[in-house]
Amino acid sequence: MNSLRLVAGALLALVPASAQQIPVVEKHLPNGFKLLMVERHEEPRIAGGWVVKVGSANEQLGTTGIAHLFEHMMFKGTPTLGTRDAKRDLELIAEQERVRDLMRQEEASLRLAYRHGEISDLTSPGNLTPRYRELETEFRKLIDEQRALLVKNEFDRVYTTAGASGMNAFTSEDMTGYFINVPANKLELWCWMESERLLRPVFREFYAERDVVYEERRMRVESTPIGKFAEEFNAVFWDAHPYMWPVLGWPSDIPNISKKDADAFYALYYQPQNITIVLVGDFKPDDAEAMVQRYFGRIPAGTRPPPEVTTREPEQAAEKRMYAEAETNPQVDILWKTVAFQHRDSYPLDVLQLLLSGRTGRLYKGLVLGKEVATETYAQQDSRKWAGLFNIGGEAKDGKTPEDVEQGIYAELERLKNELVPAEELQKVKNQFAAFEYRKLSANFPIFMQILQNEGSGDWREVNEAGAKLAAVTAEDVQRVARRYFTPEARAVAIYTRKPGAAASEDPDLAGLSAEQRPVVRRIVESLAGEKDVARLKQALSQMEAQSANADPKRQQLQKIIQKKVAARIAELEKP
Amino acid sequence: MRSLFITITAAALLVSGSLSAAEIPDRPEKLTFPPLTYEPPRPVDFRVPLKSGPVAYVVPDRTLPLVTISILIRCGNYLDPADKTGLAEFTGYLLARGGTTSRTAEELEERLAFLAANLVSSIGDDSGSVSLNLLSKDLPEGLKILREVLTEPRFQQNKLDLFRQQSIQGMKQRNDDSTAIEAREREFLAYGTNFWACRYTTEASVTAITAGDLHAFHHRWIHPGSFVVAVSGDFERTAMIAQLEDLFGNWPFPGEKPPAIPTNIVMAPPGIYIVNKDVNQGRVGVLLPGVLRSNPDFPAIEVMNDILGGGGFTSRIMNRVRSDEGLAYGAGSRFPGGVYYPRPFQAGFASKSRTVTYATQIVLEEMGRITATPVSDEELTTAKRSSIDTFPENFNTKAKVASLFARDEFTGRFAEDPNYWQQWRPKIEAVSVADVQRVAKEHLHPDRAVILMVGQRAEIEQGDPTHPVSLGKLSSGPVVPLPLRDPLTMAPLP
Repeated sequence: MNSLRLVAGALLALVPASAQQIPVVEKHLPNGFKLLMVERHEEPRIAGGWVVKVGSANEQLGTTGIAHLFEHMMFKGTPTLGTRDAKRDLELIAEQERVRDLMRQEEASLRLAYRHGEISDLTSPGNLTPRYRELETEFRKLIDEQRALLVKNEFDRVYTTAGASGMNAFTSEDMTGYFINVPANKLELWCWMESERLLRPVFREFYAERDVVYEERRMRVESTPIGKFAEEFNAVFWDAHPYMWPVLGWPSDIPNISKKDADAFYALYYQPQNITIVLVGDFKPDDAEAMVQRYFGRIPAGTRPPPEVTTREPEQAAEKRMYAEAETNPQVDILWKTVAFQHRDSYPLDVLQLLLSGRTGRLYKGLVLGKEVATETYAQQDSRKWAGLFNIGGEAKDGKTPEDVEQGIYAELERLKNELVPAEELQKVKNQFAAFEYRKLSANFPIFMQILQNEGSGDWREVNEAGAKLAAVTAEDVQRVARRYFTPEARAVAIYTRKPGAAASEDPDLAGLSAEQRPVVRRIVESLAGEKDVARLKQALSQMEAQSANADPKRQQLQKIIQKKVAARIAELEKP
Repeated sequence: MRSLFITITAAALLVSGSLSAAEIPDRPEKLTFPPLTYEPPRPVDFRVPLKSGPVAYVVPDRTLPLVTISILIRCGNYLDPADKTGLAEFTGYLLARGGTTSRTAEELEERLAFLAANLVSSIGDDSGSVSLNLLSKDLPEGLKILREVLTEPRFQQNKLDLFRQQSIQGMKQRNDDSTAIEAREREFLAYGTNFWACRYTTEASVTAITAGDLHAFHHRWIHPGSFVVAVSGDFERTAMIAQLEDLFGNWPFPGEKPPAIPTNIVMAPPGIYIVNKDVNQGRVGVLLPGVLRSNPDFPAIEVMNDILGGGGFTSRIMNRVRSDEGLAYGAGSRFPGGVYYPRPFQAGFASKSRTVTYATQIVLEEMGRITATPVSDEELTTAKRSSIDTFPENFNTKAKVASLFARDEFTGRFAEDPNYWQQWRPKIEAVSVADVQRVAKEHLHPDRAVILMVGQRAEIEQGDPTHPVSLGKLSSGPVVPLPLRDPLTMAPLP
């Protein structure tokens, strides 16, 4: 059976498997760093970076958000980059910490007052104790003194002046990645900068950066139409696993993170054996390895391995449902517990994702074109390092409900459970995976990012091995995983309906009209907005009034509303 | 400090056992680098005026078995009839998705999906595009499909109805996200609500669009006389040229040359324009009249803007608003040169409601400072080196080379200045401290700024007690409340 499948795969495959490999050179430094290199001479630049195998899943309650805050702090410099006086700078940081510890003590009394209902907002300036405000003034003085010594964003300036681009970083549940593109002749600068900040980072401007993270949170979560609901839904979905909290951290945890916490976090997770370095571009691997060894070799090996995440999500006992009123069109979002990165069932689930997705996928055909209950749909298997989930959802078509979309989704899943996927449909999906094997090779940076993310999830080799595993998936595999994972007990369902009143999407006058009549009125309102001739409007209104007595009863309501709109426009134009 | 460094290095040396570590300098300036020379590709090496009409840029690249064909089309939203706003967009979307004479939309999509080919079409403000990316072994079939799509689209009725439905539901979300509101109102303020690019689709305008309208738009504007083509990937040059001649030859209808793109923009008078929206972070845009990218000062303007707010963490606005004060996650400025009409200067950020006015004041201060005082040599060097040394990224894939040159052909830059890219770095290199201050003085007038704010108006007005800045003081102009708009008609809401 197995060999038969291989033969069939070879006949149908678009390309020989060997052509799809990314030629990665893997090396290990004595102090524990792993180094992955891909030599490419398409352009005179190098995409470089490193991934630390730590994310929000490694955090503890009380200091959630530390992995992300830490990522921000890694851009603040070193003893020689970022300040004019390294000695005084470190003294000032220590003094700031002393004041902050005292402020944290005051915060404890504020929290008690909050629990007793004496204050309702911990951050409002009016609620702060006199002692707290005194300390705050003292703290500000230290900040001002430090700022006078700062060389602002010098870490960034050195790179920018050297022709680097795209310096950034990201934090996810599973990993923290740092990256940049540098000119091919600046590999040594990259080694200097990155090894320096790993060897002796200085966490300057720690508390201003915390405020930046709050603004990031407002921007990504609190000020977006469904951000806060999505955060809540995620917390509903996971019972025990640390995936339950947001990567940005719980808002009340962020101010509790101290520099001491950051130092301990650094010592535990940012050690060489927990970090993989990735370079893709215009260099010779032998030269690059020697240079990386020379610079990164300075960093001491860690003393104890970082702990793994041992909490396993318990088997979910019952379906969960969340109902949210939001400023958005009605929609449904469903999550199922599935499997982690490189689990053998993750490949049939990836195939299942593509079977459902896109304009020729089953969801679009079934729900958008067929039943006409949705305007758009999506599906995704998310195989994370420690656990996985499958996500399906869609927006309800006007006149249909999120529950209609939900039932449509279940009907498509039932079909996958009951009937084997036809060979041609399966082949279509496999062809898309096969073509992706080439598309993924387009340029340095996308190649770099795939290696980095797969390594952060558990193993970079997946970039070269996934193709063959996906090609081997059978219709029976798809049916088996559909039956195994898409059960009511394994899912959580979020139903979104539009919050009434907010930013009036619908004119209340139109409520009593039929679906055909509503656009008529809207069109009239629209042309009225452009009409400035009051006399003409008045004439039209009197004509309508004269006719209204004779109107068809079915049209009387419509007629009345149009008259109201014309009258309103006249009133608006006559307003002094 | 020096001795501290030596101690650390010595300790590291013991750990790693690497003798060479001792040579590592304490500052990056002490490193020396091998020289790097780079010459950009030249458009003439790839430019092919086809007998069938279009100019094509043909860039072979045999590294992967993929081909990309992109066709730029001279048309855009400016061609929409007044009562059918959305016609260009609908035509663009449905061209590749609505079937052809010989295939239904469903057959076409199934076949493309089976071949794992990506075919997309769209029409935007001032150009349209159709592009196909597929495995080179499928090229003959792909070209056949492309010809059908371009010459005999079906614009299947049920696909039109579906897209209309999706568009109307999309409209309903127009007031949901403050980002969308800000983007829309910013355009209104920058160009005037009567400018063609500020016309929005409405339920009525898209309801009025018929399949007949789509066919008429297609027959009028989509023809080889209006095409510029970019092709890259796994093919042999002369064979590809012959295939392109077949693709564009013997067009079944003549088509028209489109009129010039209207340029009648009107910027709003200086003032604070504020849209009330209940979100806990206010979004701010600071606008001033902009320039065309053909302006001889444009290199100096780019360098100036890079120092002010365009250069990310090395720019002044980011340093003050984010790094110093922690008032925003992102803060910066853009000074995009317009191709057809001037596009405005804009600075912006998002900050919690109470600190919106304070952060706005900082941005205005920085705009004033760069006009009043010369920038430092160090800032100038950083901005120039950054532009010059990242230059090769413009050409880092063959697909990018083809599409960049095709875009220059399309906008007329190639005709005006065939050596544009060869001369780009020397022009940036020549910008002086005095140039930066001169163009800043000419274009940045904080007192005349048009300032847009979207957020909780009352909270924004109340401000931050630690840094009180009154809203009215930010501008010489008035504070003007802007209404939200009915998402389906775009009429102002009461």
